[in-house]
Amino acid sequence: MATIARPLGAATSAMLVISAGAVVAVPMLMLVATSLGEGGGEYIRTLREPGVGAAIASSVELSAMVTLLAVPAGAALALALRDASLPGRALWRVAVLLPLVIPDFVLGYSWVAAYGRAGLTSQLLGWTWPGMQGFLGVAVIVSVSLAPLVYLIITVGLATRADPITERAARASGAAPITVLRTVTLPLLAPAVATSAVLVFVLALGSFAVPQVVGAPSGFRTMSAMIYAELTYGSDPRNFVQATTLAVLLVAITLLVIVPGDLVLGARLRLAGTPAADPAGLSGGRIGRVAKSMSLAGYTVASTGVPLLALVVAAITRAVGVPSTPGNWTWDNFRLVLTPRTGEALARSLLLALAAASILLVLALITAGLSRTRAGQAVGVLVTLALVLPGSALAIGLLLGYGRWLADTGAIILLAYLAKLWGLAHRPISAALDRLGPAGPQAARASGAGLATSLRTVTLPMIEAALVAAWALCLVTALHEVTMSSLLYGPDTETLAVIVLNTADLGQVGATAALSVIVTAVVALPGAALWAIGRRARA
Amino acid sequence: MARRRRGIAAVVLIVAALALSTGCAQPGTSASAAITLYTCVTDTTVQPVLAAFQAAHPNTEVALFRAPTGQLNARVATDVRTGGLRADVIWACDPLTMQGYVEQGLVGGWTPRTDIPQSMRTPDYVGVSMLYLVAITRADRPALTAWAQLPGAGRVAVPDPSVAASALGAVAYFGTDFYRRLRDGGAVQVSTPDEVTTGVAQGLYDSGLTIASSAYAAERRGSPVTVSWPQPGAVAIPGPAAVSRSTNRPQPARDLVSFLSSREGQQVIGAAGSYPTLPGTPGPTMPAGAPTVQPDWQALAGRQDELLRDYATVFGG
Repeated sequence: MATIARPLGAATSAMLVISAGAVVAVPMLMLVATSLGEGGGEYIRTLREPGVGAAIASSVELSAMVTLLAVPAGAALALALRDASLPGRALWRVAVLLPLVIPDFVLGYSWVAAYGRAGLTSQLLGWTWPGMQGFLGVAVIVSVSLAPLVYLIITVGLATRADPITERAARASGAAPITVLRTVTLPLLAPAVATSAVLVFVLALGSFAVPQVVGAPSGFRTMSAMIYAELTYGSDPRNFVQATTLAVLLVAITLLVIVPGDLVLGARLRLAGTPAADPAGLSGGRIGRVAKSMSLAGYTVASTGVPLLALVVAAITRAVGVPSTPGNWTWDNFRLVLTPRTGEALARSLLLALAAASILLVLALITAGLSRTRAGQAVGVLVTLALVLPGSALAIGLLLGYGRWLADTGAIILLAYLAKLWGLAHRPISAALDRLGPAGPQAARASGAGLATSLRTVTLPMIEAALVAAWALCLVTALHEVTMSSLLYGPDTETLAVIVLNTADLGQVGATAALSVIVTAVVALPGAALWAIGRRARA
Repeated sequence: MARRRRGIAAVVLIVAALALSTGCAQPGTSASAAITLYTCVTDTTVQPVLAAFQAAHPNTEVALFRAPTGQLNARVATDVRTGGLRADVIWACDPLTMQGYVEQGLVGGWTPRTDIPQSMRTPDYVGVSMLYLVAITRADRPALTAWAQLPGAGRVAVPDPSVAASALGAVAYFGTDFYRRLRDGGAVQVSTPDEVTTGVAQGLYDSGLTIASSAYAAERRGSPVTVSWPQPGAVAIPGPAAVSRSTNRPQPARDLVSFLSSREGQQVIGAAGSYPTLPGTPGPTMPAGAPTVQPDWQALAGRQDELLRDYATVFGG
């Protein structure tokens, strides 16, 4: 990595710091200034207020539980799908990513519709999950939504770090598969596991939609929900200031997690490694492959298949609560949402999401390239903090910073996407660059290649998988983003989020489900087509 | 390979340039718009109302920002801190929110001549639409005739007053003790009135407290629910409209509020699925002689925090 950082130089560092300052630091500073200027910075008093301590505890407990569930699940998926001889591996690799394409705002609903009282499994099998609408349900659903992220990061890690020769040597020396996993594979994956754990913890800390929809009936309330509640009564200036104070506290809690994580783990995790092909000899035999296939099938069906089916059922059924028999099927929900206005909003959202993902790729690559410099490290921490800020708080910060000039324009929505998702792009790319050995780029430079040539011919090809993963993650997340764009849009910058929010606000479950099916299809179908074309080209 | 990468780089650059040009462009409509309306009223109501207003006032264009109350408040609060309120007219969903704007000196000081009852008006705003909080029950259970029956009406769901302004109106009217009895009877709190409706329709809950428009829409679509207006009455929550004190276009702004409170405007509001406030104007489903009640909004102004703190002793938070 130093081979990239050095030649990037002072000018690039300055540009990076200015960009991060403008996009991320300004909105955060505006929130801090509001909470200090108007609220007197009474953070300790706020912490002692009724409910705040409990909400902080709920948020941290949720994040811890989600990290404990999602990281092992994502790692297990990555390890299982590493086996090149696994039947149907190409299909499973796509299937485990499906939760990413289900928007957060429908994930909670689809799980309740699938497993809740009177849900799909209740109708078909007479089975429900009684404790789903509570802490454990929220934790499981958020974990399912974040496990693909862990899977992606660890898969990229496996592609560049876990050398099958070492593992085969261990097996040949008589080590059991579990011993090989514990003593060889997992230690090599430490950087990817640590990266995904920090990211999952932070994302869970800022999650809003699922805790709000699924957790509310049990009285489960997080900091994000509390901030939203304060904003609801923002016509009283004290509540608005309280919301900014809570947002600043949430950022402070995040700092307590990620700074020690980066400082303690960062240096230790940067080890040299060699890219490796997927191994075919580590599957554990036929029984192992069958067990893996069955586990994958069970996980995919339970986590995504049944909730997606419940969503489709809701979209084609004329009303909530009526049996979904052919007599009650209708296209009305689709007709209701397939309007020219939806089409325009979808096109605008796609364009904004494509732009955000593309710009973020460049910004995240530079941030990762400079991650051994102070500027790079500071920007890395800053952009991760933005990930945890509730969307509404970040949008308020942007409006406070740039509203005078950019209110109601698409530019402020684009800025919001960049601010919120920079951390999402940065962490996987940074982890991938960390795993790169310095030998390749150094050899290229020693042979007379310029920085651009070295980057183009050596570095970028080696982290191509991480770049594609980060780009796709940002694209999908931006396309689904609801909270910020619904606060920032103007008369001619209505995004899909605004349409979704308007539909959901009317309580039209069928129409919202239809819209979600359309959004999912818009992401999944071109994704599947690109994947098929890519496979064909490689073949 | 190199050609492919150059292609990818070109696509990235083109997309970024396109979005930046889209993003930085000022919205075309707002350049020619005469006034801006901020509202939390549903899209199905506000769009026909604006179409009718613009037909009646062809020289006045209206730019719309519509969002739930929480986002609307956040938007107003940031406006205030970045040069002042950008709306010329605000059409809110509850009097407490509007009273908050009045106390900040953002709106008010003028109301139109209208036949809307005095009880829906103050010197600063006029109630032009109405939300009614009613009871919803599963069709296989007896409908409620009195609110006092709700604590024993099976598994009950209530909306969160810190999320939905309409739910706060119910807390203000019923008082915390009523909610304590509900909780002790096994009631749960969900997020919004729409979630109550959906939950009862799905069979997650047996009965609940929701807004009439949501409950009737579910009933109309065929969901197995029954809507009732229990005694002493459904809780009525007026949606007030007011003109910004800082508007640069006072006349078109007043025209819009006048239209909203006029017979013609009220008819459009009624036809679009919201309850009008002008007596005798046709509106959505409402049983003949349906009883309604209202909390004392003036007395409640500025007491949201106190109410929510009391409520939090019952349903946590």
